[in-house]
Amino acid sequence: MLTLTINGQSRQVDAPDDMPLLWVLRDHLNLVGTKYGCGIAQCGVCTVHVGGKPVRSCQLAVGDVGTRAVVTIEGIGNTPNGAKVQQAWMEDTVPQCGYCQAGQIMSATALLDGNPHPDDSDIDAAMAGNLCRCGTYIRIRRAIKNAAAKSA
Amino acid sequence: MKKIIGIIGAGIFFVAFGFAGWTFLGRDPMSFAGGSTVALADYKGGDITGVPKELASADPVKRGEYLTHAADCQACHTAPGGAPYAGGFAFNMPFGTIYSTNITPDKQTGIGNYTDAQFLAAVHKGIRADGEKLYPAMPYTSYSLMTDDDALAIKAYLFTLAPVHAPAKENQLSWPFNQRALLALWDVVFNPDERFRPNIGQSQPWNRGAYLAEAMGHCGECHTPRNLAFALNNHRKFSGAVTAGWRAYNITGDKESGIGDWSDEDVYLYLSTGHANGHGGAAGPMGEAADDSLSYLVPDDVHALVAYLRSIPAQASDLPRTVTTPAPASYKEGVVAGFDPRGEKIFAGACASCHDWTGVSPVTGYATLTGVRAVNDPSATNVAQTVINGVNRKTAEGKIFMPAFGEGYSDDDIAAVANYVTARFGAKGAHLTGSDVANLRMQATQLPNSQLPKSQLPKSQLPKSQAPESQEAPHG
Repeated sequence: MLTLTINGQSRQVDAPDDMPLLWVLRDHLNLVGTKYGCGIAQCGVCTVHVGGKPVRSCQLAVGDVGTRAVVTIEGIGNTPNGAKVQQAWMEDTVPQCGYCQAGQIMSATALLDGNPHPDDSDIDAAMAGNLCRCGTYIRIRRAIKNAAAKSA
Repeated sequence: MKKIIGIIGAGIFFVAFGFAGWTFLGRDPMSFAGGSTVALADYKGGDITGVPKELASADPVKRGEYLTHAADCQACHTAPGGAPYAGGFAFNMPFGTIYSTNITPDKQTGIGNYTDAQFLAAVHKGIRADGEKLYPAMPYTSYSLMTDDDALAIKAYLFTLAPVHAPAKENQLSWPFNQRALLALWDVVFNPDERFRPNIGQSQPWNRGAYLAEAMGHCGECHTPRNLAFALNNHRKFSGAVTAGWRAYNITGDKESGIGDWSDEDVYLYLSTGHANGHGGAAGPMGEAADDSLSYLVPDDVHALVAYLRSIPAQASDLPRTVTTPAPASYKEGVVAGFDPRGEKIFAGACASCHDWTGVSPVTGYATLTGVRAVNDPSATNVAQTVINGVNRKTAEGKIFMPAFGEGYSDDDIAAVANYVTARFGAKGAHLTGSDVANLRMQATQLPNSQLPKSQLPKSQLPKSQAPESQEAPHG
């Protein structure tokens, strides 16, 4: 039995150590907001926060999470920057099909956590690993700036 | 005039004789230890050969299995994606390509008809059952140190495998390398064909480690440079060499370029698991050596290997001391001037999510770049190979995976990202070009990861809720 801290709650999971965190979230805990994309950490759609860092949950073995707190798209709205990003996302109507957006929001929030006022190149460097097949990149960049401009 | 010709002739003779003597002296992998050696039968210091005491009462096949792992027959005698031990692995060398052969007990295409004597001749002398010479890609100059009992235990194990019908692939060698008979001359100089002799000035663990490293694991075949005749040059023992397009690093005690700064525990962990925190994880051929061979050894045997490795004289090579401090958290800091900005862009998109801008991976210690020898190798050989081939290891801790980018990125892209990674996280940035990368691809075209069809990659990693057979179409 593994004990994980997910979105502020302690959760018990009966899963093998080498199971990717993504499987545990989706199949064991029914937290299906986090999506499966490429399965090889190349698209960013499965991004969650682990110990405050954006991590591709398809490649992180659940046994390696340890005591680090996990935050998923279901819990990110309870954090100050997460709430601002989600608000900006709605104001700028960022999503098109929406499949990648959970990962985009997680990466964008992690960016603002470390850098409250990112410029274009900061956004590019932080968001380059999150692909969007609808091409909403321009709206993503605009929404991140919008979120950064919101007062806490 | 005659006098001058005589002097020149004598000069040539002495140089040639001196060179021959020097190469000859370089053939004994354990001469560095000095002291005197005795025949195994006369050694009273304890068990050196065979299986460890844990397996002393095991049946012959189990013992043979342990020794087969210790001698790492599998890595070379298995083609990428092919049946284990059925051969077909390609060795690409400057003078052509050699394929490993089928050592399953198939009677037509394998070794099913080999007698004990024929098997020993192959292992110790490099002579096939039909009398033809084997190329020394088969490390018989190392295996010649192996006892008859151990070699025959390996045979007993191999003969329990399911026979696989797999005819040998034709070697593609240029003249004169395609003349197998010439190897008999090579053997006179470079294969003493003598069994292991314990060193009475050294401890039992040292001798056991020497037997495991030299007679079984044949570490030197990759880690020791070769001389002009492609024989191991033990004057530079374990100081590193390039084999099959990958760099086998300096594993002597040199503090800058070798492993002199590693703790015994780190060396132990690296050998037994293919990973030690702060030194990264093994990839490529060393990853295979860890997963197919070293990880099967009992702790005492790995400790013996450590004891032996620690006694190898330090040799400096052309590698800088590894940088052990992480890079800055912001991509804007720690930028090295003069590098193709493409490397940073590729790193941001494809690498940073697992390796982080600091180089310390939030995912697994296997993916941490800080302190890793390959990252601190200004040739970037193994960084480029890892990018091309990825990592696909099955360890006791689970699967260790990095995608193979070789088919998705151009030679110039891979050169740029390898240069960026070595500059950002290592001691000295590389200056690879696209044609360097093309050359590296050619040398290692047959590593298992590069052969993995792309369609096989994600399938095993699909969570049930989004498996392709379900109706939910994730990419709709």
